[in-house]
Amino acid sequence: MSDARLDNSLPLIHAYLDGELDTAETLAIEQRMVEEPLLAAERERLETLHRVLQEKLPRDTAPPDLRRRIERSIGLQAASSRPSWRALAASVAVVAVVASGTTWAVLQPQRGGDIADAVVSDHVRALMAPQSSDVLSSDRHTVKPWFNGRIPQAPRVVDLSSQDFKLVGGRIDVVERVPVPSLLYQRREHLISVTAVPKKDAASTRTRRTVGGYNIVAWKDDEVSYWATSDLNQKELDEFAAAFRAAP
Amino acid sequence: MSRDDQIRFSNLVLPHLTDCFALARWLTGSATDAEDVVQEACLRAYRAINGYAGGNSRAWILTIVRNTAYTWLRNNRPPELVMVDDLDAAANDSSAHSLGGDGAGAGTPETSLIAKADASRLKDAIAALPAEFRETLVLREVHGLDYREIAAVTGKPVGTVMSRLARARQRLISELGTGKS
Repeated sequence: MSDARLDNSLPLIHAYLDGELDTAETLAIEQRMVEEPLLAAERERLETLHRVLQEKLPRDTAPPDLRRRIERSIGLQAASSRPSWRALAASVAVVAVVASGTTWAVLQPQRGGDIADAVVSDHVRALMAPQSSDVLSSDRHTVKPWFNGRIPQAPRVVDLSSQDFKLVGGRIDVVERVPVPSLLYQRREHLISVTAVPKKDAASTRTRRTVGGYNIVAWKDDEVSYWATSDLNQKELDEFAAAFRAAP
Repeated sequence: MSRDDQIRFSNLVLPHLTDCFALARWLTGSATDAEDVVQEACLRAYRAINGYAGGNSRAWILTIVRNTAYTWLRNNRPPELVMVDDLDAAANDSSAHSLGGDGAGAGTPETSLIAKADASRLKDAIAALPAEFRETLVLREVHGLDYREIAAVTGKPVGTVMSRLARARQRLISELGTGKS
């Protein structure tokens, strides 16, 4: 590779790791990183830097006093009243309920069965979208960091290529109004969405369902319930679930 | 200002207070100064709440925090410490886009040194970055904004955001990847 092409590829590695490239660009840079050790080394340095920043950089929290002073300065709270963020949170909550009363009441009781509906809807919508995932990569070390900063907890991303389930990418879905990570795997022409829903009361043992012609296998690990959705047959979807759970 | 404005402010701005404080702290380098900046920025945001046209409220308030922080720095710090706007041109040095190290692939000593950097080294290295590089890096790595949002907050084109981010990371890698402690 010429020096000029090398120089042109360097900024693209940043955009690639930041999840800012489209499909064609992603595939092109992944190919170039395979071919060119200098680019692969750069990618490794950048990934290491990103990981270290995410893991070790202390996160600031605003002093509680600051919030109180701001509220007071705009007259949101009488200076004499006992300052309490709880009171404010309560008033905000009341406003939110009043403002969106009906929607809230309807969405609130969503439980197990409705999670299944939600993950199937998200899966179908993803299939219909021009791009079925927000981050497109077959490399779990790219997919996992992409979730950092977008949602509180990045999902477990496993490599199942040896079992013929290829990682395709990831996206953020919304289940019970909470953004949750979904991973996308592929076997033959079938896509499988695995949605990780943090829930304590989720199905404790493996459950199988069919919603709108899509098979679902759900299971729970470490306080997270996983929902695998696909038009793949039930037997192979079970196989996928078993492989996902068993993967290191 | 009406009760509606206060409610709008509570809903739009207060949920982002931690973000606001973190950005102000990275930009001013001091927790005390950051409190002043955030308080001032919130007042500005409150007065401008009717001009908020919807969309990304976090990017909106972070823009105000950023601008307030630079005004504050101009008024309270010696001029040589305040950002220079033509830094991009000045920083077009050879190190900016070099590959660094010997590029020998996996497990270079440089990579393992970066991996070993502790919190205080990271903080120092970020604090030592020029303001433009620092704000871009912090908006990406700390706040998790995407390029378009960073461009909106900093008022620069996406291309500038990309090059600043690349240079900021390159500098951190050179700084952290050397053996000194």
